[in-house]
This record gives sequence, structure tokens and C-alpha cells, in this order.
Amino acid sequence: MARYTTGRLVQVGRWIAEKAAELDVPVSAATLCRAAVARLGVSGAVLTVDTSGWPEVGCATDVLGERLVELQVTVGEGPAVDIWRGGGPALIDDLDAPSSQARWPLFAPLAVEAGAAALFALPLCVGAIRVGVLSLYRLDAGHLDAATLTDSLAFAELALRLLLDEQANLNATGGDADDLPLHNPQVHQATGMVAAQLGLGMADAFAHLRARAFAEQVPLSGLAADVVARRRRFDRDGGRP
Amino acid sequence: MDGERLVETFVELADTLVDDFDVIDFLHMLVDRCVELLDVDAAGLLLADQRGRLQLIATSNEQARLLELFQLQNDEGPCLDAFATGTRVSHPDLAQGGRRWPRFTAAATEAGFGAVDAVPMRLRDEVIGALNLFRTRSGELDAAALRTATALVDIATIGLLQQRSIHHHQVLTEQLQTALNSRVTVEQAKGLVAERLHVDMDTAFTALRRYARGHNLKLSLVAHDVITGEINTPQLLNPPTGTGQLRR
Repeated sequence: MARYTTGRLVQVGRWIAEKAAELDVPVSAATLCRAAVARLGVSGAVLTVDTSGWPEVGCATDVLGERLVELQVTVGEGPAVDIWRGGGPALIDDLDAPSSQARWPLFAPLAVEAGAAALFALPLCVGAIRVGVLSLYRLDAGHLDAATLTDSLAFAELALRLLLDEQANLNATGGDADDLPLHNPQVHQATGMVAAQLGLGMADAFAHLRARAFAEQVPLSGLAADVVARRRRFDRDGGRP
Repeated sequence: MDGERLVETFVELADTLVDDFDVIDFLHMLVDRCVELLDVDAAGLLLADQRGRLQLIATSNEQARLLELFQLQNDEGPCLDAFATGTRVSHPDLAQGGRRWPRFTAAATEAGFGAVDAVPMRLRDEVIGALNLFRTRSGELDAAALRTATALVDIATIGLLQQRSIHHHQVLTEQLQTALNSRVTVEQAKGLVAERLHVDMDTAFTALRRYARGHNLKLSLVAHDVITGEINTPQLLNPPTGTGQLRR
């Protein structure tokens, strides 16, 4: 699989910061999309977020990006819709190919008509928490080479972190790239337990857990281990046992 | 090793591969068969994520101590070495200690294991993960068991990568990312079930898996439906309807 090092993630983060500085705006999902277009050799990028149960445009670098989302919502199918329903990444070299047309008989011809030829949709998710989709598209058909795919995944990871930080009301800019231990299974088990304890959905439970770790200045992994070991419970009226 | 059982296992795995199957469930079946066929006491399959960190995808036993042994191997251990070098790594006598992985060796010994093996999962020139085998007794894994382990690992790789495109890095990325995220969903569901039913993680996992089996559903779908509330947690304890099971 395309795989990147922490150093590469830092490099991609730097590109986004540079783009923000160039535009004289703060780092945001919009600057991330602009930086992706500048660095990945794609013609556009669109970030969709979930507010209503359907993909909605968070930001797009051009009107084609907005159009591609709009089409998927209208016809009820497409890579971003599949991801919303639990699918993985959809890396489509050629929207006009028979396999693409068969997979999305309504969306694919309309996307081609709108001008897109290749579409790479990357889920921004943590298990059942579907935060958004980062879609990159090109006007010419063709696959992403291994190095570009690797960088695309790094952009997607940074987009995920950015959106998760927003959900948890944390401003983690400048934070260590590893302060979110998503590879630790106990963090996800603890999220499930907190969801049950507080009667919340997974996204809110995860945000709650992160915000609590931040407020108490403890590592998320440590707090999660305490929750899983039942040394710590979250109750609707507070956190301490 | 029971030759007939081995043949049955390969038939079972091949049968799974032709259907639309759940990767996580398939890999769980595979690690369970490892324990049964290779005379090992625990097995786990780890895949590297997009950052090169090893993540547990399936294990024969979800006890916390064993999970910690897998988790620890992001810092040191046989799986990390097998992944980094692409070759099999073993420690036939953990009680002798080891300078190579002091923390891992100590934790594995404390968990009651005497020997460990790690077999890399390879796809062409790329290593995508490793199979970890634990035995309570010390000693080398015999040659036949090793051959079988390698064959099972190859089947796991094939199961992950249903070749659909010449751009294999794209397909592999799609499959691995999906599998890794499904595992996260299962972990979230385990936490939810453990809390609601007041059981430990292992029991929660067994309940999810049994429900999926009994209803012929994908494990990741059951995990998802438990999270969204489409399956009520107490239902997990019910036997499937229409299977003729007698209720006392």
C-alpha cells in the first residue's frame, strides 16, 4: 500500500501552512484543498462533510468540485455516497470506463459530461465516525502514481485531523503529528464505552473523550486505558467516578 | 498435524474467497485455523497502516494481555522485525530473555508464552503485514507447521487483494484502508457492547461474531448496525431465529 513516514506527513503539513501564508489566511480545510491541487497535479479538490446525513460541500477549489458533489446527492450514488454508506477509498482512473459506468450508471456519465475524467475519493473516518470525504479529480484519465497516492493519503490524514479537532473544539495547530493515537485499539474501545455511558453517538463520544484528555492534560491513550479497565467512567453530570 | 483438517481448511478458505466476504471475518477464521492446525496457543494478524504502523486486524483471542503484546510491537518485537526485513523471525525460548526485544520478551513471558514466531505477509516486493504465532511451550516450530503457516499467510494476502486492476498500489490501498477502518468500527462496537452488557472486550467480541455468524452477516456490518442502533445490543445474546435451536 502507499505508505508515508511521519516526516512526509510533516512535509505535507508544511505545504498547507505555506499555502495559507501565501494567501494570508489561517490554515483551514480550504487552504488544505488549495495546497493539494498545487502539489498533487490534480485539477481540483473538494472536501465534503456530513451535516445532514448526505455529503455536503465543505469547500471546493472550483465549480466542478461542487458540481461533482451536487450530482452525487441528486442521483443518490457515487464514490462519496459509497463512502458515506461505509465504503473505503474509491480510486477511479477513468470515469468513462465500462467498469466505472457499471458501478455508477447514473453518476459516472453525468460526471464525465461535467468534465471530470478521473476521481479519487478518500474517506476521512475513524471506524463508524464518518467525518468527511476528500475527493481529488482530474480532467484527464489516468491513475495516481505511487508517490502521489502516498501524498494524497497524507493530505487526507491531515484533513481528518483538522475536522476532528474542530469537532472536539481543539485547536491543535502546531501539535505533534502523533498526539492523536488512532492506531491504538483501546482509544476506539473507550469511545464505544463512553458512547454507551453518555448516550452519545460515536463522533460525539470521541470528541468528548479527546476534550477531556486535553482539559486534564493527560494523554488520550492513558485516559482510554483507564476507561477500558473501568477505572474511569463518564457520567452525564461529570467525569469523575 | 491433521492432514484431513488441513485440506478442509483450505477448502473452507477458498469457498470464502469466491463469495462476497468480510475481510475481517475471513482473517479471523484464518487465525483460528492457525491455532488449531499449527499447534500454537494464540495467533494474530497485523497489517501496516498508511503510516507503516502495525495494526491488529484479527486475533484468535481478544484478551487484553495478548492485545498489548501486539500493540507493543510498534516499538519492538518479532512482527516489527518480520515486517521490516520481510523474513521470518522467531524466538524459540523467550525464557532465555533477549537483548533484541527486552520489553516484548518480558511482556510475552509474563503473559505465559514460551516461544514466538512472526511470518511476513508479502505481496511481490512489498511487505504488508505479519502473522504472529505464540506458543506457551518453548521450542522451534516444526517444518511442516511453518510451511502451513506460510501458505495460510499467502492466502490471507490473496484474500486482501482481489486483483481488479493493473495498478496494484491503488487496489491495495483501497482494500487495506477498508480493512483497517472496519477493524476500528469493530473496536468501537466492542466498547459499546462491553459497557451496555457489562462484559469484557473478549466476550463483547465473541457476541458480535456469533451474531454475525448466526445471521449470516458480515462482522463489520453487525458492528456498524450495533453502533447505529439497528441491532439492539441485547439482541446479540439471542440465538438466530429459524435455525431450529431449542430454547430451554
